Amino acid sequence: MESSRDDFVIAIRSAFLKKETKQRFSLLGLIFFSIIFLVLSNFNFKIIDYFKMGIKETVYRSSFIVSGPENFAKYSFSTIQNHFKIYEESKEDKLELEYLRTKNLSNEIITLENIKYKKLIDDYFIKDNETYAKVLIDKQSPFLRSIILNKGSKNNIKLGMVILEEDYLIGKVIEVNYFTSRALLISDINSKIPVSLQPGDIQAIMSGNGKKNGILQYIKNSNLTENEEDLLVLTSGAGGVFMSGIPIGVIKINEDTSEKGEKVVKFYKDFSQLKYVKIVSYLRERGALDMTSKDKLKEIDDEIEETNQEQEALRILLEQKKIADETRVKIIRENDYLKAKITKLENEMLIIKKTIQQDDIRKQEILFLELNLLYEKKCKKTFYNKLYVKGSEDYKNCILSKGVVKKN
Amino acid sequence: MSSSIQKKSLLAKSYKFFPIIFLFISVLNELDFNNLGLKYFSFNFSYILIFYYSLKRSENFTYGLIFVAGLFNDVVIGIPMGVSSLVYLLLCGAAAYLRNITLRPNLMKDWFFFLITILTVNSIAFLILTFIFDYEIDIFSQIVNILFTFLFYLIFSFLFNFFERTLLGRT
Repeated sequence: MESSRDDFVIAIRSAFLKKETKQRFSLLGLIFFSIIFLVLSNFNFKIIDYFKMGIKETVYRSSFIVSGPENFAKYSFSTIQNHFKIYEESKEDKLELEYLRTKNLSNEIITLENIKYKKLIDDYFIKDNETYAKVLIDKQSPFLRSIILNKGSKNNIKLGMVILEEDYLIGKVIEVNYFTSRALLISDINSKIPVSLQPGDIQAIMSGNGKKNGILQYIKNSNLTENEEDLLVLTSGAGGVFMSGIPIGVIKINEDTSEKGEKVVKFYKDFSQLKYVKIVSYLRERGALDMTSKDKLKEIDDEIEETNQEQEALRILLEQKKIADETRVKIIRENDYLKAKITKLENEMLIIKKTIQQDDIRKQEILFLELNLLYEKKCKKTFYNKLYVKGSEDYKNCILSKGVVKKN
Repeated sequence: MSSSIQKKSLLAKSYKFFPIIFLFISVLNELDFNNLGLKYFSFNFSYILIFYYSLKRSENFTYGLIFVAGLFNDVVIGIPMGVSSLVYLLLCGAAAYLRNITLRPNLMKDWFFFLITILTVNSIAFLILTFIFDYEIDIFSQIVNILFTFLFYLIFSFLFNFFERTLLGRT
């Protein structure tokens, strides 16, 4: 019994303490070093921070280079896939574009009104700093859904800045180095964002599910099945970290998307396809209730009025166009009908003309026969006169001119 | 004749560093077997690589480089620096212990020892991340990961064996 324990101790000692051949460090020493590293990283020592920052900069750049071939393959594959999709998408896009164009003006009015009301309640944010960054690394870690960006404190990137792609929220900055920064994606399990669900203005907290979607937590009204249409998920602006009204995703009511009883938010953006993102910070616009703001409000009111008028004019024009189109169609139809009628009448006229012609011929024949009875003797050739042979053209002329014309 | 021998030995020397290069590539690359985006499938390739080579060819697998690879892994996946290094080194330690107590190597024994080791080191990592650093980790996905890492060890050990035999001419 004792000897087996001794064997165990010897084996452990040999494994952890003894420096093996070609090994520069002992295993136990390195284990202690990693523990010390872990402990020290919890404290904010400047030297350790600089050391960590240096390692991070090196690793991010190296990872970007090492991932080059794989990213190239991924990019090529997605490009080929996109080419196949483009035709169908283009057709759908055309339809959608038509639809969106009509909605655009209404949206503009709503936006302006929204700005006006937000200014009134002193909750209007304006963009303070906007930078575009390239995604260096998009490692889908099981512990942290994050991306590494190629902009850091050198480019005025600060903690908490908002990451957008095409105006859709995708995350916020959680770590800033000199040349690089790390952004926590909203799909991360640790990301908690105050959101509002529209329509209904339901307030909730959204967390990532660690995969592709988000889940709603701490929702006051959990019975969302009463809604018949899809729910849009926007930032509520509560807490002041995010500006309110940034679109995040949608909750499909028709699809069964609940996960362990929690509603799943489908994000507008696919986080696995990120290449360039926008880093934005917002600033609350001050002085909403002084005289200058009144002027500004008046300006916005005027703008709303102008846009309203434009929309009204556009509506009238569209209405007129609709009427003109309807009239044009009606005229074309009438035109076709009249054309057909004219052709019919022309045919009828042709028939009548023929009949008249035939009547004229008959009349002339009757007249000839009548005159023939009367003036035959004056025109007909006999033994004792040199008049015309019966049936000849001259004879006919002679009868018609009542026997006056004489033969030369 | 001598030049071909020289070439062969140079190739063999460079092949020796393949495992460590492979480890660094797998750590730095964006493609992570640890998280392939599939619901019930993931495995930790680094664990298999480190355990296998610490057990079989520890002379080419220096602890210092493993420690650095761990640091790199932490930075890339965004967990506190030192956690992966600690886990990797504990794996090396377990492999070294197994090597010391084994007289006649047996794949089945290695395999089950690997299971115990990854269960232990993953538990340690889980405890550190959850209780010290307040990370939320899905236990189910961790179990799936451990299970597949355990199963894949067998396949990869055959592959690594094949690699060693054909390219390096080792038995």
